[in-house]
Amino acid sequence: MSVTGAPILAVRGATMRFGGFTALSNVTAEFPEGQLTAIIGPNGAGKSTLFNILSGAFPPTEGEVLFRGRNIAGRRQHHFARIGISKSFQITNIFPDLTALENVRIAVQAMTMRFDLWTPRSRLVAMEERAAELLRDVGLIEHQRRVASELAHGEQRALEIAMAIACEPKVLLLDEPTAGMSPEETVEIMRVILSLAERCTVILVEHKMKLVMDISNHILVLHHGEFLAEGTPDQVRANDEVRRVYLGEGRR
Amino acid sequence: MSMTETDNGAGIAARVTDFIRRHRVAAVLIVLVIFPFVLPYQALASNILIFGLFALGFNLVFGYTGVLSFGHAAFFGIGAYGVGIAIVHFGWPWFLAIPLGVVAAGLTAMIMGALAIRTRGIYFAMVTLALAQCVYYIVYQMDDWSGGEDGLTGVSIRQVDLGFAQLSLLDPTVKYYFVLAFVAVAIYLFSRILASPFGAVLEAIRENEDRARACGYDVRLTKWLAFVISGLFCGLAGALYAIHLSVVPIEILHYHMSGQVVMMALLGGMGTFFGPFIGAIVYLLLEDIVTSMTSHWQLVLGLVFMACVLFFPRGIWGSILHWIRR
Amino acid sequence: MTLNLFLLQLFTGVALGSVFVLLAIGLSLIFGLLTVVNFAHGAFYMVGAYVGVFLLGLTGNFWLALILVPFVVGSMGLFVERFLVRPLYGRGIDYPLLLTFGLGLVLVELVRILFGLEGVPFDVPEALQGAVNIGVGWFPLYRLFLIGVTVVLVVGLWLFLEKTSYGLIIRAGARDPEIMRVLGVDIGRVWLIVFAIGTGLAGLAGVLSAPMTSVIPDMGTSVLVEAFVVTVVGGMGSLLGAVVAGLMVGIIIAMTSLFYPELSDLAMFILMAAVLLVRPQGLFGRKGLMG
Repeated sequence: MSVTGAPILAVRGATMRFGGFTALSNVTAEFPEGQLTAIIGPNGAGKSTLFNILSGAFPPTEGEVLFRGRNIAGRRQHHFARIGISKSFQITNIFPDLTALENVRIAVQAMTMRFDLWTPRSRLVAMEERAAELLRDVGLIEHQRRVASELAHGEQRALEIAMAIACEPKVLLLDEPTAGMSPEETVEIMRVILSLAERCTVILVEHKMKLVMDISNHILVLHHGEFLAEGTPDQVRANDEVRRVYLGEGRR
Repeated sequence: MSMTETDNGAGIAARVTDFIRRHRVAAVLIVLVIFPFVLPYQALASNILIFGLFALGFNLVFGYTGVLSFGHAAFFGIGAYGVGIAIVHFGWPWFLAIPLGVVAAGLTAMIMGALAIRTRGIYFAMVTLALAQCVYYIVYQMDDWSGGEDGLTGVSIRQVDLGFAQLSLLDPTVKYYFVLAFVAVAIYLFSRILASPFGAVLEAIRENEDRARACGYDVRLTKWLAFVISGLFCGLAGALYAIHLSVVPIEILHYHMSGQVVMMALLGGMGTFFGPFIGAIVYLLLEDIVTSMTSHWQLVLGLVFMACVLFFPRGIWGSILHWIRR
Repeated sequence: MTLNLFLLQLFTGVALGSVFVLLAIGLSLIFGLLTVVNFAHGAFYMVGAYVGVFLLGLTGNFWLALILVPFVVGSMGLFVERFLVRPLYGRGIDYPLLLTFGLGLVLVELVRILFGLEGVPFDVPEALQGAVNIGVGWFPLYRLFLIGVTVVLVVGLWLFLEKTSYGLIIRAGARDPEIMRVLGVDIGRVWLIVFAIGTGLAGLAGVLSAPMTSVIPDMGTSVLVEAFVVTVVGGMGSLLGAVVAGLMVGIIIAMTSLFYPELSDLAMFILMAAVLLVRPQGLFGRKGLMG
């Protein structure tokens, strides 16, 4: 695990307004490089909104998104992916009619071959091999020839993660990766995520407190669209504000 | 007993269609080469050839990228007018006139695409229709060049001098094979593009645009590029149409022509390789038969199209493929 | 070129624009709630004119015909939405559009069969003939009437949408049909009504235009393009956009026919291109609406 601690991704004064509704208000936070950071907070805290701003889905109404110190807020979505910020969606978002292997291969292709109009795809052996490697990393190699829409929910989430890491990201953003999964699937995905955390910075949005406390190095707590607290799991657990906000919700 | 028979039937059908699909270019070409001997008359065969290419080019954007354009008549028409103007007003030979038509169509696609691609999904059909209609009005106004309401006449190529042979295009059969030569090359190029990494990106965009974006693809630029390539193919079809008819009628630019190619693509099966040609064949044959029986072809066309949208959205070839896969 | 002539032509533009406003509102309503681009909108406009001719012939009363036309055409819209368009929801945004395109062809041909290929005459009713002195010159009474009817309808529609609970349901449904269903609203009934209103407005625009233009089966063809341009300029789903853009396009066409007649056909496209470059969602459209 990298020990630089310097923030690879940060937001400064991020505010998001949808019409009359303010989802995020003046949030400033840093995500240290090489660490696994979790963004937590009760429902409506603005976690998904922050996630979307960090991943480039839309720009903040006000404020900056800093990647290695440079403001990238307002750049288009594909640009975020190209500079190394990759994400998985909250609701599984894959290419339903393609096979698992094809899904990942398209993700691999995005980095190098976007406008080649001539080479037959059958010749792109290296890409297919890389795609297979990624499927192995997330434990889906036996399903490589199955059509993505036919995979189980947990397998589809894993597939999406494989696609997210295909571009060799510096930052991997995961939006509730364990949503809708059985306990066994959850354990498996967590194992995958932990292994990924060794090669890149991981930022998770999660509801399941136990999970968050077990695997993250760093936690950011939001509440009502505002910054509430941040720190190591122990620090956050001991934080009075956090305890007050979560009292009554219990540990999941 | 009967279950194994059906299984075998489907199994054999699957193997046959797989074989045909792996050698798709050859399959289409074989059919097109023997066409003139199968159909009642030449003009129908040539029309099928030309509109098949038109629908093929259109399908790149509609069937493969998942974007509905109602403005493709502009490319077909500009391709035709390009050739027409080059031959009638500049006196250019065929090997310069045809490329001019294609390039003009491509340029039109670049401009239209740049304007239209900035809008969101469902607006695209409306905007392309309006922009193409704008092209219609412009060409209509420039009647010194285009002949205005009466169209551009005199677009005739009598002889093609290939050096080793002289082809007289006054013979309809020779003209058919001349046109087929261009269409064959176009089909081959089209097949290569579909099978390329770029083709894979187009399909990904159709499947899930957001996902493609998140992977790092510039979806807008890719769509624009697909639109331009499509414009080039449709422009070639238009250029050949002008040569086939020897005149360029102004109606070629009207949005009814855009609607026609949409219908052919849907009828045949969007997103399939053979669909456009099958759609063109069915459409033109149907038109031929119906117009000989009644003057209300549009009514039949509209009803058939509505039925297709409601009950057979996969089109003829698409439905066949789907049935085999089941 | 006197100021009076300029202002008079401006009024002509407003009259022309009024027809566009009615068309664009209908189109925008149908799109805003149903996410359907009604490619048969021009055909409904044309049908409205023909129904008007028929009713006028039947009853001899222009006012009666005027009032009945939107209901007749609206009922056709009810039928179309319920049995042709509704089965296509959930299939993909292009399918309803394609269906309405086919429907447009059918409607035009049916009218050709029923009424023939030649146009039918529709005279300005006696009560509305002649011209009125509006200060800057003499302006056709009928066109003033047209503007008046449009103003009344726009205001009425605005009141309906903003002030009534049904209007609230329509506006809310446009934002989130799922929530409407969860709340127990019969969203199907809302769709029916909106489609009927939209097509009814198109039909009304048709019968109102009838005395000013030739009533032929093809009259909806170019009008569809104009309606599209107006909605792109104004912004889909926006009532204010429909009104502003409709008037803008009407005025631009009228003014260019006076000063630069060669450009009058193209003027609205230039406006549309400019809007597409600078503000692709339309003047009053919402950014990011409908990906």
